Amino acid sequence: DTHKPVEPAEPTAGMHALKTARFLEVRNELSKVYPEGILSPNPALNLGSKNKGRQYDKDFLLQFQEVFKEKPSMDWDMKLKETVGDSTDSARPQSAR
Amino acid sequence: QSSSNPPAGDNDIKTVFHDAENFNVKHPLMNTWTLWFTKPPSGKGDNWAELLKEVISFDSVEEFWGIYNNITPTSDLALKSDYHLFKKGVRPEWEDPQNKHGGKWAFQFKDKKQVNIDALWLHVMLAAIGENLEDEEDKEVMGVVVNVRRGFYRIGLWTRTVGKALPGEKGRSFEQGKEVLQKIGKRFKQALQLKENEAVEFSGHTDAANAGSTRAKAKFTV
Repeated sequence: DTHKPVEPAEPTAGMHALKTARFLEVRNELSKVYPEGILSPNPALNLGSKNKGRQYDKDFLLQFQEVFKEKPSMDWDMKLKETVGDSTDSARPQSAR
Repeated sequence: QSSSNPPAGDNDIKTVFHDAENFNVKHPLMNTWTLWFTKPPSGKGDNWAELLKEVISFDSVEEFWGIYNNITPTSDLALKSDYHLFKKGVRPEWEDPQNKHGGKWAFQFKDKKQVNIDALWLHVMLAAIGENLEDEEDKEVMGVVVNVRRGFYRIGLWTRTVGKALPGEKGRSFEQGKEVLQKIGKRFKQALQLKENEAVEFSGHTDAANAGSTRAKAKFTV
């Protein structure tokens, strides 16, 4: 599946998964769903609070860093260029002219 | 693959840790957040409104990481750039009606070479989206911001009030309001991994606006 993107590019599998996945009902589901070796969100953050179990501690969140790297959309690079700029112009420390 | 097969039970739950290309559940955030970027002025008289750009909104942990892993790190930004991560519907400006009565906790990192600004900004964003900065009933946190400047990096946390109940709202007494802000300030300080003797300062937005200076008098510190 490594053809050059000459056709309008299709979303990647990961992008598709992100779009179609349903929200975990965190309070009920989260203790039992993770593969071995993955920390659950710190239960202390969610127990006893009135919220819907949508608090996550840093160590839990950091586990995703190396796991999910999909761009948010196919036109992300373009969007980034229009907003943050690309690394060749404004995204460099300014130098003397 | 058909999307007409909803997961039937716990056995079918696949997180991104099971399969990053084929997961069927994602982690909801308590709030939807919007990332904004301030472009450095070009020097051609551009106005602030044109420099402040909305980048993207997101409401899941997975989406946050997709964005974070594909955006310019703070350490690569030009001087006078800012990232703002605010609750959706709030513009990261004093002028937004929702910020009008608010203020901010802020800390300046003056030794830019010593400080790992990317890690600090990440940890502050995680504390915000993971809802570690306030308790739900506090309803104070509006967003967080990082400023890249010649002499320093600054990270701030914007709050809805300066401790006073807003007009038309019965709320906390000033003492209670101040306590809530100080609790939030302490959690912010913790997220920044600052030492006890490094003071984080709170100031009201309008104090800064009226003084015509970016550096308002601190109302309180933690």
